[in-house]
Amino acid sequence: MSWRDNWRVILLAIFLVVSVYALVAPGVGGGDGGDAAGNESLVTTDGPTNLKFGLELSGGTRIRAPVDAVSAYDVDMPEVQEGEDRNEVQSEVERRVAGNLSDVDAADVTARVGAPNESSTVEVRVGNVSEEEFASALDTAGYDYDRIEQGVTDETRDTIVRTLRDKISQAGLAGGSAQEVTTADGNNFIVIEMPNANQSEVESLVTERGQVQVVAGFPVQEGNDTEYREVPLLTQGDFSRISTAENHPQNGPNVPVVLNDEPAQNFSEAMQKFGFTGEGADACTYQADQDNPGYCLYTVVDGEIVYSASMGGDLAGTIESGDFVQNPGFVMQTTNMSEARELQIHLNAGSLPASLDLNDGTSYFLAPSLAEEFKLYSLITGLVAVLAVSIAVFLRYGDPKVAAPMLVTALSEVVILLGFAAAIQLPLDLSHIAGFIAVIGTGVDDLIIIADEVMGEGEVHSSRVFQSRFRKAFWVIGAAAATTIVAMSPLAVLSLGDLQGFAIITILGVLIGVLVTRPAYGDILRALLTDQ
Amino acid sequence: MVAFEVPEVDYTEYTNRQLAAVPLALLAVALLILAGWFVTTGAPVQLGTEFTGGTELRIQTATPPSEIPNQFDADASVTPVQTADDTYLVTFPPDSGDVEQQARNNLEPVSGQSAADIVRSDQETSASFGSSTQRLALYGLGVAFVGMSVLVFLMFRTFVPSIAVVLSAFSDIVIPLALMNLLGIELSLGTVAALLMLIGYSVDSDILLNNHIIRRSGDFYESTYRAMQTGVTMTVTSLSAMAVMALVASVFGIDLMASIGIVLVLGLATDLMNTYMLNVSLLRWWKFEGVAR
Repeated sequence: MSWRDNWRVILLAIFLVVSVYALVAPGVGGGDGGDAAGNESLVTTDGPTNLKFGLELSGGTRIRAPVDAVSAYDVDMPEVQEGEDRNEVQSEVERRVAGNLSDVDAADVTARVGAPNESSTVEVRVGNVSEEEFASALDTAGYDYDRIEQGVTDETRDTIVRTLRDKISQAGLAGGSAQEVTTADGNNFIVIEMPNANQSEVESLVTERGQVQVVAGFPVQEGNDTEYREVPLLTQGDFSRISTAENHPQNGPNVPVVLNDEPAQNFSEAMQKFGFTGEGADACTYQADQDNPGYCLYTVVDGEIVYSASMGGDLAGTIESGDFVQNPGFVMQTTNMSEARELQIHLNAGSLPASLDLNDGTSYFLAPSLAEEFKLYSLITGLVAVLAVSIAVFLRYGDPKVAAPMLVTALSEVVILLGFAAAIQLPLDLSHIAGFIAVIGTGVDDLIIIADEVMGEGEVHSSRVFQSRFRKAFWVIGAAAATTIVAMSPLAVLSLGDLQGFAIITILGVLIGVLVTRPAYGDILRALLTDQ
Repeated sequence: MVAFEVPEVDYTEYTNRQLAAVPLALLAVALLILAGWFVTTGAPVQLGTEFTGGTELRIQTATPPSEIPNQFDADASVTPVQTADDTYLVTFPPDSGDVEQQARNNLEPVSGQSAADIVRSDQETSASFGSSTQRLALYGLGVAFVGMSVLVFLMFRTFVPSIAVVLSAFSDIVIPLALMNLLGIELSLGTVAALLMLIGYSVDSDILLNNHIIRRSGDFYESTYRAMQTGVTMTVTSLSAMAVMALVASVFGIDLMASIGIVLVLGLATDLMNTYMLNVSLLRWWKFEGVAR
């Protein structure tokens, strides 16, 4: 018995050791907290192993939905002339398109003038505009276009995914993730997974765009009448520092913020011009009389006033004296702590360019307690299936010398796969468990082929006889493996939820089987049969 | 120890026509069932909510099952989960509104739990998403099958043995589909996975048989018997594993694994018949008559 003859067994042993290490060694896989794509490590680790469990085995919510918007591609926009600002052309288009749509603000329309040879696009990012309405708006505005599709451009979708990730991590929902999925028929979806969160929490996160504004509302004398004007002053991006939401003894629940230099300058000028620092200080009566609110600073989220505040006397003083511009910090108040936390998330993560259309997608929720049951039960189911295979194999061969290594080899395939899953942080779901069982099934099938072929034509006396028979058996195994891989590969790339995980595990299992474990079984069998 | 031996079938007693008749007749019946289903329901199989759209709630409630449908605005169909007390699967058609909230508001929690615990799982699929999933799954199955066929033809490079493998794989999928209709099993993503797994299992034993007959010297019946010994052991082993899995998973109420198990049991049994009746007869015809022409 030499090293050279048994290198396949040695290779299998190495694979097993590495896999077991990946499975149980602390700090493997989960340690770095994220991958290169900026996808934070978003799955829960449980128990003594490094295995990650997906939603179906750990509980939580998954939402898969398209973006609620319409976009026109290859739009014939005016060319940007020498010396002309591209932004001006774009905002001109935006204004004209929005003007032809009811209830649409220019801010909800984005026009992008593409570089030469690139598609110019226009998006309307509010949900209630149909493709027909958008088409007639473009026609009326005089812009030709190639086609109109539901959804947004790739750039906007990237922004949405980035913003959602930010929001998830800001919300402190450990283990959440957001990603883009494109199906084979060209539809784009955004998939959000949140362990340990229920549907309504996730739904509000993705359907609310989270646009935060600070709006000044104040009275203006027009002859004898008093009119109220509302001027948006600050929005996301105007803040250089957003602190954690706090419950202050005097100010109540609030988010302390610091302004950037330029917005601070503008804010300070506006406050003085509108009269907030004079008669307008401490003069907001919005809560008492909405028709006659006085001088108020409103915190507006998605167009709704969530809080109205007076200009504090102290703050008014620092604005008057000019100290405010040097040190532009103030607090944004809310009615309760949960609103304050939400406000902080919106301020930090920015607003979603468009919300998701839940009526056109899927959502899935599983209670963590039920998931725990599934985890245990599917483990038991898998073990029972292995037991059934073992009994069948022992009954068939009656010879533990043949049957025992068969089972050990088949199980080592599963151990290697599990180790691989732990190493790449694959979140295991029920479909993966079904894949493992499929792998055991095909694995044992192939080992039966090897065993029968090798022992079928009488006693095996020499290595040479063994080698030639083993090679014959391997042709069948290789052919079967190739067909299984071909049959599974379309599913591994189509984003079909459950089926993708199943297909990936089956393909990997077949590859590991053909390249590592089944050749090793051949060596083991040879050693046992030829008594070398 | 009780060992199981693969019985030796005396194929010389039967003509090719007799051998092929049974699997082909069953295939025809299965195709008829699917066609009939298509005519009456508009789809050849019963589609689950993942494909049609709709909502499936798993709830645990003290409200008696007969009164559960009245608690929702939309049509609800209620199936009790056998293994868990007071637990039901309730399905709704697409666009049924916020049934999750209605469940929490209108149903009675079991003692010791709050209204928040009523909904144990909730799977909502919109109709448009469902139909796109349906298209994709069909497309996936089609590509998988065509890919498998091309590879089989490339490997054997002979028409009859190759078409035998493809035909038997086709029948291995169609007969379980018809049986699913009869047994009331819906087509879900899980059962689509099982059908694909069948392609793999089915081709395994077919390739083995072809390989023994085409590529080995020796008597046809001897080769067939040797291939059968191995092939039947393989299929029976997988069959027992899947039967046990189906049983255990349905006791535990894990629907996905239970339906995968049942479909595979049906398919593997079909495969035994197809491989050792249909394929053997096609190969015998090819070996003794087809080649001579």
